[in-house]
Order: sequence, then C-alpha cells, then structure tokens
Amino acid sequence: MKKKTLLTDILKHLFLLILALIVLTPIYYLIVTTFKSGTEAALHPMSLPSSFDFGRYVQAFHDMQYPRAFKNTLLITVGAVVGIIGASSMCGYVLNRKGKKKITQFIFLLILSGMMFPYQMSIMGLYKLIRGLGLMNSLLGVILIDIAINIPFATFLMKNFISTVPIELEEAAKIDGAGVFRTFATITFPLLKPVVATIAILNTLNVWNDFMGPLYFLQTRENDVILQEVYRNIGQFSTDWTSLFPMMVLGVLPLLIFYLFMQRYIISGVMAGSVKG
Amino acid sequence: MRRAYKVKNGAPYVIMVLPALVIFVTFFILPLIYTAKYSFYNWTNFSREITFNGLENYKAIFQDSILEKGITNTLIFAFVTVTVQSLISLPVSVFLNSKLKGRNVYRAIFFAPAVLSTLVVGYLWKYLMSSSDYGFINNLLMGMGLEKVNFLGDAKIALFAIITISVWQWFGWSMVIYLGSLQSISGELYEAASVDGANGFQQFWHITIPGLAPAIKINFVTSTISGLKVFDLVLSTTNGGPAHKTETILTLMFSKFSEGNYGYASAFGIVFLIVSMIVAAVMLGIFKKWEDRLG
Repeated sequence: MKKKTLLTDILKHLFLLILALIVLTPIYYLIVTTFKSGTEAALHPMSLPSSFDFGRYVQAFHDMQYPRAFKNTLLITVGAVVGIIGASSMCGYVLNRKGKKKITQFIFLLILSGMMFPYQMSIMGLYKLIRGLGLMNSLLGVILIDIAINIPFATFLMKNFISTVPIELEEAAKIDGAGVFRTFATITFPLLKPVVATIAILNTLNVWNDFMGPLYFLQTRENDVILQEVYRNIGQFSTDWTSLFPMMVLGVLPLLIFYLFMQRYIISGVMAGSVKG
Repeated sequence: MRRAYKVKNGAPYVIMVLPALVIFVTFFILPLIYTAKYSFYNWTNFSREITFNGLENYKAIFQDSILEKGITNTLIFAFVTVTVQSLISLPVSVFLNSKLKGRNVYRAIFFAPAVLSTLVVGYLWKYLMSSSDYGFINNLLMGMGLEKVNFLGDAKIALFAIITISVWQWFGWSMVIYLGSLQSISGELYEAASVDGANGFQQFWHITIPGLAPAIKINFVTSTISGLKVFDLVLSTTNGGPAHKTETILTLMFSKFSEGNYGYASAFGIVFLIVSMIVAAVMLGIFKKWEDRLG
C-alpha cells in the first residue's frame, strides 16, 4: 500500500513538473531574449544572456513614451476600480437592505442582466454615445465604460456579501442618531473589506489588461495606454526582432510585479469571486 | 405628514442606488438600444446623413461568407478552449488539493500567465511558434528530427495554434475555480468511500465530479462566453489570417469599424448578441439537466 502511494506521488510530481516547465519556458524566454541580439537568441534561445545590457530597455521606454502611457493606464485603472467599488457597495447595500420592495427587485434584475451579455456587441452604440457626449479620446469616457461593464458582477457580489453583515449594528447606530449615509460609511462599509478586496483585485486585472476599450475610444496618442503602445510599436518595421521584447516585458511588468507581491491575495480573490458567482 | 416623512426617509437610499444605476443604464443599456437601432440604418463614416435602410445591413451580412466563417471559428475556439482547459485543470486541481509538497508553488506558477496581457501573450507566442530561423518550438521539433510546422501560417491548424495559446494562458484560472470548490467537499465522503473499497478513480468519478458540478458549470459558462469575445489574441497572432481562417466575430466587427461601416458593424453586434444568447441558453440547459440527474 505504502509503495503504491509513493509511486502515484512521483507520477503526480512528474506531471506537474512538466506542466510547470511548459508554463515557465515562454516567460523565461520572454525575459532572457530582451538582453540578446537576434543572432544570439536564435542560436542559444535558452541560455542566459552573454551580457545584461539595459540599453534596449531604455530605448523601448523611450519609444513607448512609457511614463505617459503608464500614467494613463494607472489613472484609468484606479478611477474605474474606485468607481466600481463605490457605486456597487452603495447599490448592493440598498438592494439587500431594501430587497423586499418591487422597485429594488426590478433594479437588481436589470443590473444582473448585464452579466449575461458581452458589452462588446454594443460597441457601435457606445461609439455613437461617447462621441455624442464629447467623451471621445478622454480617459473619463473609458473609466465610465469600465465602471458600467463591471458593475453588474460587483453589485451581485456586494449584495450577497452584505446579506451576511448583521443589521443589528446599523440599528444601534440609527438609535444613536446617525443618518443612512453615516451608518453605511462608518458601520457597514468597514465590514465589507473581504469583498472589496475581491472586487478590487478582479477589476484591476480586467481594467489594466483591457485593450479593446482603449483601442476604440482612445485614438490619439497622448491619451493611449501601455498596451496600445505595444501594439503601435510592434506593428512597426524593425531590423532587429529582439528589440521588440523589452516592449513586451514593459507591457506586462506592472501586473507581474503586482502578482509577485500579492499572489496569495489575487488567487484567493479569484477563488472567492467564482465560488459565490 | 406621514407621506412627507416617508419620502424623507427613503431619499438617502435613492441617492445611494443612483450612481450605479445611472452609469449602468447610460453606458450599458443605452448603447445596446443604439446599436439595435443603427443596425437598420445606413451609417458610415463617409455619408453625412444617417438614413434608414431596413434590413439591408443584415442581408449584406448573411450574403457575406466571411461572417459564417467568423461565427464558426468563434464557436470552435470557445468550445475547444473550454474543454481542453478543463481537461488539464481538473486533474491538476485534484492533485494540488492533496497534501503534495510544493503545491503552493505549483499553484502560483500555473496561475501566473493569467495576469499577463493577452495581447502580449499573443506576440510572444507568435515568435515562439514562428517558422523563421529563430522559431523556438520549430527548432525543438527539428532537434528531435521532426519536420517544421508553420503553426500560425498554415490555414488548417492556425485556429488550433491560437487555442493552444489560450489554454496555456487560462487553464490556471479555471484550476483556481476548481480548487476553491474542492475545498468545500467534505473529507468524510472520501473516508467512507475508502472503507467501502472504492479506488481512486471511482472516488474521483462518484464524489469529486458531482461535488465539482457547480464549479464545472461556472467554468464552462463563463469561459465559453469569454471565448466568444476572443479578439486581442487573434489580433496579435494572425490578425484573422491566413485567408480569414482565424477570423472571429469581434475581429470582423473591428475591421468593419475601421473601414467606417458603422451600420454594418452594428448589425454584426446584434448577430453576436443573438449567438451568445443561444450559446448561453444551450449551456445552461445542458447543465440544468446534468444537475437534475445528480439530484
């Protein structure tokens, strides 16, 4: 019996090791190639680079107008995530606490319907609307779109979570004379930390990596995001193919760093977001 | 008097619902209505006036054979990706749910590609799969004495090459969903089964799979819907080629948009809506039957 479990353990490890190798090899390749010339990368794709020359990164940083593109991406992500959390927590609160009313039930169903349809199908109508509102090429336009498309799921998670928060504390605050807003902001909201973390993590990944929204609605270069810079520069002719690799790394680096430090929280955020969904 | 009191009491709640409701209706519902409307109009970047033209856009779409290809490709992409993804992530999550050494490291590695931008992942794999001298995978194949394969340039396999990339990137995500669900299956069930003499496979089939039913449903439904939206990955690997063999609904819509054919692209959006509703309904129906059978 013992022998048999040892053997299955070895087989499991073998399977997982091979899979890990398949996952890691492309990422390793991506990183080491940034330091190699085309010839070196073609001859020794897996070896460590012969020298660590960051000159290519400096060039890519410059070509991508990285600080500006980074700032735009960050503003959009922070704006959208804060907006999603603010709007969905208040809305989810009312939908739960006043959940017996017909009107709140209708609003909940309406918002929930947004989970069923991909917003991409109505992108032409969105284009018309954004142009009509004068929000074309503005970060605010993309932020509002990102809030709108992510509100349904966030509200759903919030409403579910708030149903587990005891109402007695709020009632006590009300007796002490606190209004609805104050009760929500000082009593309820601080108790929402776990679900706020889940929503913040899921939406940071979503919004930061969204390419299609900016592609349609941020068409001037000074307003574009990191991924559009990757798209723009890689499309251009280059004699040295490995010079494009630093751009790819710069494209994924911010979230990769975020992942390295927050790995546990990100994975449990995804877990929490799915089990309840 | 009583009424005034009531309104005053309800006002804060109304104010708290409004931001979410207004943004959602304005930037989600309204565009949907606009898109439906303009799918019946001759709206282009070149004509000054937007005129009603009935079903012309829809007629044009159905006469265009590329659309059929786009829908077929999108459906193949979504279903094959989802299935292969679960075939890998299911056993992986079961292994990682046991007391295996280094399971947290494996978990962190497998999930890592999911935080990378799909656009960049596409570019990276385009180089890895290249058939030029530097193509890493082809060099491996030739090193093993096999023939070179033009993964993304051969019309017969390009779509499956893209599917492979997508599975590489996302199986870790579905693994995490399965892991979350596995943790809720009681260990006692397995102990009881062992006592009854059930082997590993029997336990997997009769305890693990039914216990995972909700997670399997979530994985299949959400991944299929997001598979229908495949866009970045195609744009960065094949851009719809060769010979439109990897064109998807959203890449076709984007080319119509770039050409300035907005009315046509709107009709395309509505076709997309109908396709995704059918797919969602069919999947939910299948899972409902399965869940009923499990009791």
